[in-house]
Amino acid sequence: MNAPLLLDRRAFLGRSACGLGGIALQSLLAQAARGESPNPELFRTIAPKAKRVIFLFQSGGPSHMDLFDGKDSLDKLHGTNLPDSVRSGQRVTGMTSGQSSFPVLKPIAPGKRCGPSGVWISDLLPWTQKIAGDICVIRSMHTEAINHDPAITLANTGSMQLGHASAGAWVSYGLGSENENFPAYMVLISQGTGKNPDQPIFSRLWGSGYLPSQHQGVILGAGREPVLYLDNPNGVTRNQRRATLDDLAALNQRYATEAADPETIARIRQYEMAFRMQASVPELTDLSAESAETLELYGPEVRKPGTYAANCLLARRLAERDVRFIQLFHRGWDQHIAITRQLPNQCRDTDQPSAALVMDLKRRGLLDDTLVIWGGEFGRTIYSQGTLGSASSGRDHHGRCFSIWMAGAGIKAGYVHGETDDFCWNITKNPVHLRDLHATMLERLGIDHNRLVYTFRGLDQKLTGVEPAKVVTEILG
Amino acid sequence: MILAALPALASAEEKLSYNRDIRPILSKNCFSCHGPDEHGREAELRLDIAEDAYLGGESGDPSIVPGKPEESLLIKRIRHSSPRRVMPPPESHRQLNEDEKNLLERWIREGAEYEGHWAFEAPVKPELPPGEEAQAIDRFVADRLKKEGLQFSPEADRATLLRRVTLDLTGLPPTPAEIDAFEQDTSPDAFEKQVDRLLASPRFGEHQAVAWLDAARYADTNGYSIDGGRHQWLWRDWVIKAFNDNKPYDVFLTEQLAGDLLPGATEQQQVASGFNRNNANTHEGGTIAEENLVNYVADRVKTTSEVFMGLTMACAQCHDHKFDPISIRDYYRFFAFFNTVGDASHDGDGGINSKPFIHARSCLSTDEEAATVRADLEAARADLAKPDPAGLAAWVQSARADLSTAGKDLSLIPLKAESATSPNGDPERIKIQGDGSVTIDHGDYAAYNVMCRLPQEGGPIRGLRVEFLPTEKSKGKLGFHGAKGLEQNFVLSTITTSVSSFPALNVDLNAMLPMARISASGWQNGYGPERVRDTTPTNGWAPPTGATTPHFITVTFDSPIDPVTTPYLTTELMFNYQRGASPAHFRIHAFRGNDDGSPHPAEITAILREGADNLTAEQQQKLEAHFRATAPATAALRHRIANLEERLSVLTGKHPVMVMNTAEKPRLTHILDRGLYSSPGEAVTPGTPLSLPALEEPGDRELNRLDLARWLTRKDHPLTARVHVNRVWLAFFGKGLAPSAADFGVQSPLPSHPELLDWLAVDFVEKNWDTKALIRSIVTSRTYRQSAVAGEDLLKRDPSNDLLARGPRFRLAAEQIRDQALFVSGLLVERLGGPSVKPYQPGDLWRQISHYGSSPATSQTFVQDHGEKLYRRSLYTYWKRTLPPVNMAIFDAPNREVCSIGRSATNTPLQALVTLNDPQFVEAARAFAQDLLRKSTEDEARLKDAFRRVTSRPAAAEEMQILQRALTRERDRYRSDPAAAASLLATGESPADPTLDPAEHAAWTQLCSMLLNLSESFTRP
Repeated sequence: MNAPLLLDRRAFLGRSACGLGGIALQSLLAQAARGESPNPELFRTIAPKAKRVIFLFQSGGPSHMDLFDGKDSLDKLHGTNLPDSVRSGQRVTGMTSGQSSFPVLKPIAPGKRCGPSGVWISDLLPWTQKIAGDICVIRSMHTEAINHDPAITLANTGSMQLGHASAGAWVSYGLGSENENFPAYMVLISQGTGKNPDQPIFSRLWGSGYLPSQHQGVILGAGREPVLYLDNPNGVTRNQRRATLDDLAALNQRYATEAADPETIARIRQYEMAFRMQASVPELTDLSAESAETLELYGPEVRKPGTYAANCLLARRLAERDVRFIQLFHRGWDQHIAITRQLPNQCRDTDQPSAALVMDLKRRGLLDDTLVIWGGEFGRTIYSQGTLGSASSGRDHHGRCFSIWMAGAGIKAGYVHGETDDFCWNITKNPVHLRDLHATMLERLGIDHNRLVYTFRGLDQKLTGVEPAKVVTEILG
Repeated sequence: MILAALPALASAEEKLSYNRDIRPILSKNCFSCHGPDEHGREAELRLDIAEDAYLGGESGDPSIVPGKPEESLLIKRIRHSSPRRVMPPPESHRQLNEDEKNLLERWIREGAEYEGHWAFEAPVKPELPPGEEAQAIDRFVADRLKKEGLQFSPEADRATLLRRVTLDLTGLPPTPAEIDAFEQDTSPDAFEKQVDRLLASPRFGEHQAVAWLDAARYADTNGYSIDGGRHQWLWRDWVIKAFNDNKPYDVFLTEQLAGDLLPGATEQQQVASGFNRNNANTHEGGTIAEENLVNYVADRVKTTSEVFMGLTMACAQCHDHKFDPISIRDYYRFFAFFNTVGDASHDGDGGINSKPFIHARSCLSTDEEAATVRADLEAARADLAKPDPAGLAAWVQSARADLSTAGKDLSLIPLKAESATSPNGDPERIKIQGDGSVTIDHGDYAAYNVMCRLPQEGGPIRGLRVEFLPTEKSKGKLGFHGAKGLEQNFVLSTITTSVSSFPALNVDLNAMLPMARISASGWQNGYGPERVRDTTPTNGWAPPTGATTPHFITVTFDSPIDPVTTPYLTTELMFNYQRGASPAHFRIHAFRGNDDGSPHPAEITAILREGADNLTAEQQQKLEAHFRATAPATAALRHRIANLEERLSVLTGKHPVMVMNTAEKPRLTHILDRGLYSSPGEAVTPGTPLSLPALEEPGDRELNRLDLARWLTRKDHPLTARVHVNRVWLAFFGKGLAPSAADFGVQSPLPSHPELLDWLAVDFVEKNWDTKALIRSIVTSRTYRQSAVAGEDLLKRDPSNDLLARGPRFRLAAEQIRDQALFVSGLLVERLGGPSVKPYQPGDLWRQISHYGSSPATSQTFVQDHGEKLYRRSLYTYWKRTLPPVNMAIFDAPNREVCSIGRSATNTPLQALVTLNDPQFVEAARAFAQDLLRKSTEDEARLKDAFRRVTSRPAAAEEMQILQRALTRERDRYRSDPAAAASLLATGESPADPTLDPAEHAAWTQLCSMLLNLSESFTRP
C-alpha cells in the first residue's frame, strides 16, 4: 500500500484543478492519517536476510518428544511416574489435573539422529529427517499458556489477551507489500487427519488488531472462489468489467478533482488492483504449469485443493510472487487421546509437504531470502493422559518446552538449539520464548523488534510486547 | 508521521506550558523509568511530580532546580557526551532532539512549573471568545482560525449538507424528495428543521447504536476458543431505544453499569446492565477457572475505563501504569467492583447464555407492530392456503415422474470402510468390522469420517446409502439417545461426501458433492431426510423411534462420480443433536441406477403412486398439504411465515439476555502480582483511582457498581463528560477534539481546541446530559456546515483539518455502505430491533475453522437466513467474533472481541471486490435497476434519478455522457447474450420482475452496480 502514487491507466496528469502536486501530497497525508506506515524503510534498520516469511503453523500443540526431542533415557523412564521434583509447581490443564498418576510415555515411534547436528527426528517424519541438514531445530521453545485459545493467540499475536495484531499484520505494516497483485499477508487453512475437527482457529490469529485493517491476513481458500468475492457476478465478463472500471475511473477522476478528494484517487488504484487480482489469483492457484516431478515431490494430496500439501505448494508460489507473509494454519495436532492412532496420521499429512517446500525453495534459490518456520503453540506432556498403554491415551498440553524448526534466510542449517531435561519437561539450556521467536523473525526481515511500534491508546505497542525479547543470535548464520 | 497542526507551540516570547510543551517530551522519553510505575523506577528518581524532581534521585543531587538549568542534573544528563551517561540511554531507543533539549532547559530557566494533567482536573466553563458567531462552537473555532490567519470555508450546498447530516444522524442517505424539500425551503431555520426531523427518526437510534456496539464489544458469540452462540440482542434493543428516547447520558451510563443495583430495578434496567456481560467468555474444556474469571473481570475494567473515562487502566493489571497515575492497587480496587458478579468460569455452551441471565421483553416491541405482524402473518398463511392447482399439478407430475423411475436399474454395492475416525472420546468405541461396516460402542457428539474404496468396475456411481443396524449395545434398537421421543434412536444432522484420488480420511469441505435427491426408509415425525441438508445441529433425519430393523438414508449426487479417477469416497456423518443421539452400527453402500426410496413420507408416496384420477378428497387434501409444506415453489412464502412467526414471538414473548447481579458469596479480590491469577497478594475492596476525585466509602458496606456510576456522573468528574462529548464530536467530524478518543491519559495528544472541549463538556452536564441537544448544537454549527472542498493552500497548511477551516469528509462505515445499497434499491426491510440475522455470506467459512462435530456449541456452521432477514440493516447482522461478517470486516468493522472506539477508514482492493461482486450488492443493483425501470421510461430521467439517489446531487453533463455510453454498451452486450442476462438477474433471492425485458434489466443492473461503486457513493461529503 506504499506504492508510489501512480495510475497505470487513465493517467490524470494535468487534469486536476488544484494540480497533481496538491492531490499527491494529500494522498500521502491521507495514507499517514489512515495509519499506513509512511515509509517502511523507517523500520528496516538492519540489513535484511529475508524478504518474506512462510509460517507453517501447526495448530493444536505438536508433541515435541514424539517428533524432535526423543531421548534414549525415556526408554528406561517409560511407565515410571513423573517425579514431583520435575513437575514441581507446574500447573496442568483441567483435563489431567485430576489424574492420580502421571506415568511417563516414551515416544510412540523410534527416531534417528539426523544431519550434522545429530538432532533426533522421529521415524514418523522420514521426509523431515531428509532435510535435517537444511533446518535448525529449536527444542527449547516455551510459553506461559497451557490452553489453546491463549496459547495460539500468544503464538500469533505476541499476547494472550485479545485485541493485538498478528505477526503477519505487523510485518505488513512494517514493510508493506512487495507486489501489486496480491495482498502483503495471505493465509491458507487446512485440517489434518489426526483429529478432525480439531480445536477451532480464529480470524484474530491473522487479524490486524489495533493496526489498520488493510494489514489483516487475506484467506486464500480452496473453493471455487479462492479469495472471497473475487469472481465477477454470473453473466459479467472480464471485458465488461474492464469497461465498467474505465467508466468508473473516469467518473471518480472527475469527482476527485472537483472535490479535491485524495481518497478517491487512492480508490481508483485499489479498483485496479482488485482487477489485477482477478487474474493473478487464478493464475496463482492453477497448478497446471507445475511439473509432474514437482507435484510428486509434495505428495499425492497436492492435487487436492485445501490440503496441507496443496497449501505448501501454494506457499512456494506465493513466495515466488513476493507475498510478504505467507501463513499456513494446519489443524489436528491436539492429541489428548489415541495418540498412537492420531499422530502418525497427522505426520503423514504434513511431513512430506513441509520437507518438499524446503527442498523446492532451496533448489529454486528462494530459500536464501525466505524464512520458513514450522511450529505450533505449545508441546505436550511426557506423561500419559489416560491409562498408559491404552489405545485411547494421549498427552496433555505442555508449555514449559516444545520444539519448532526454522529454515532459510541465513538461519544456521543443520543446527539444533536448546536442550530439555530427561523428561522433556523443563528446559536445561538456551530457552527461547515465543517473543524471542518473533524478535528473531523480525530481525531476519531487517527489523529491530523494539523499533517496530504502533502508538495505540497512549502506548507504543509492539509485537514482542512489554517483556524483554531477544533475538536468538546463536542460530543466525 | 506527519504532525498535525496541533496547539501551536509557544512563541519565543510566551512562557512555556508544562502540559503543552514539556510533559509530552518527558512522558515519551523519561517516564517509563522515572514515572509513576514504582516497579520499573530507576535510580529512585521520579520526574512526573514536581517535588520529587526537585529533590532528585539516589544521586542526592536535585534533578531540577527551578530557574537554574545549569544546576539541574537533568540538563547535565541529557546533554552528556558519554553514551554511558547520557539520558535517555541509547538502548532505550529513545532520543531527545536539540529542540527538545532546548525546551527543557528554557522551561527550567522559566521556573520549572509543573501543571496537573488537564484531563484529570475538572473542566471549568471558559468564557466565550468574542466574535460574531451565534453558536459557542463557532466562537471557539473562529477564534482559533483568526489566530492562525484562516477563516471558515463557505457553507456546503444544500444537497451536500443534507447528505452529510442524514448519513451522520440516521446512517442512510437522503432521498431526492427530501433534498428537493430542503432546497425549496426558504425559511431561515430550514436546516434546523431537517435536523429535528432526523433526530426524531427511529433510524437515529439504529445508527448511533453502531459505535456503541463497538465500544461495548457487543457480539452474538462467546469469543474465546469454540466461540459458541449467545443471546444478547435484547441489550442491543435497549441501546437503540436509549438513543431514540434521548436517555440522559448520566442515566444511560448508570443503567448500563449498575441497572441491576438500582432500587426496584426494572426489567429493562437489568437488561441495560448486560453491558458488563458483553465480554468474551469461554467453554473450552480444560481451561483454568480462575484464569478465565480474571480475564472476564479484566475485560470489564478495560471496557469501563476506556469507554467512560478514556483511561487505559488495563496497563495497570500487571504493574503500576507507566505513564498515568494508576497503581496496580488502584487497578484491583476498580477490578473489585466487577468481581462480585455471580458468573461462572466455563459457561455459555450449547447456545444457552452464561449465567446470570434473565428472560425479558424487548423494549422496542410495540402493540402496533405486533398487530401489523399478526395481520401480515394471517395474510401469508392465507396465501399459502390458497389453492394453487397449477403449482400442485406441476409438483405432482414431477414427483410422479421421479417415483416412476425410482429403483430403475438399481444396484447396491456394499462398501468396506477402510478408515473411520471420530475426533473425541475413546477411539476403541468406533470399530470397523470384518464385513466393512462400522460399529460404535456408545453415543456422543461426533463427526464420523468414513473412507471407503469404490469399485473400479461397473461404471459411474450415482450416490450412496447409509444403512443403520440394531445392536445389542443399543438394546436391539438403532441408536443411543436417551431423551423422550427419541429413546435408543439417533439424529443424523448432516451428511457430507467427497471423493478423491488418494485415500482422504477427512471429507473435503471444499469439494462437497451436491445432493440432488435424499430419501430414507422411514422417519420419526419431524425428522425427514431433507433435514440433513442444512448444518443446523438441532435438526436432521431420525429413523422411527423404536425401530428394531435396519433403516437407511439414500443420497443421489447431482452428477455421477467416476470411480476410476476418484476411487476414494469419504463421507462425514454428523451427529450433533444432543449428547448421545448417535448410531450403533452402520454400513455404507454405493449405488448405480436409481435410488428405489422415496423422498416423501410413506403415505404421500402411496397416494402419488396410486394415480391421479381416483384420489379421494382426503388424499387430495393430504397431497396439497404436503405440497404446501415442502415444495420449492412455496419456499418463499414459508420463509415469510417463519420470519413473521419469529417476529411475533420477538414482539410478544420473553427472551434470554445476560445481565449483571451480585453473587450470594462474591469472590474476594486480591492484587495479582504481575497480573497472574495464580499469584494473589493483598486483598482489596472496591474503590476508585487515587488520582481522581475521591469516592467516600460508606462505613457499613463496601462500595458497589452503583456507587461507581454515581461517582462517574458527578458534575465535577474530570473525565466522564469530556470523554463522551469528545466521542460524539468524533462521530460528526471523523476525529475527536482530543484526538485519542479512548485515551485521555498523560501520553495522549493534547486537544486541538481544549477550551471548546471543556465548554461543551460543562454545558452538556449543565443541560442534564442531553445527548440529542449536544448533537443538535454540533450539526447546526457553522463549523459543521462548511464545505469540505479545500484549496491547495489549506490542504497543505492543515492536511488533517485540525483547525476546522473546512468541513469534515470521510468514507462511510461498513454498515452504511451496505445499508445505503439496500436503501436506494428499495430492498431494505426496516424493522426495529430483534435477534441478529444471517444475510448472504460466501461458502461456510465458519465450518472450516470451527469445532463443528465436536461440541454442542451453536454457531459452528453458517446457515443463511432467507426472506426479509437478508435485507435488514447491517447492525442486525449476526456477529461471530472469531469470524466477523466478512463484507463488513473488509470495511474496517472490528471483531468486537474487545472494546473499540473509532474505526479506521482504509481503502483496499478487497473492498472493491465486495461492492462489485458480493451477491448482496449485485442483488441491490438488480433491484435498484428494477425500480428505475418501473418508475420511468426515459433513459435520461432514469439515469438522473439513479445518480442522485446514490450521490445526493445531480449528475453533470459530462457524467451523463459517460453513463449513457456505459448503458448503451451494456445493452448491446446483453441483447446479444440473453443467457448472460438471465444469469446476472438470477443473483440474489428476491424475485426479479418477470415482466421486464431481461436484457434491459441486466444492462441497468450493471449501470446501477457502477453507481453503487462510485467513490462518491462511499463518501460522506
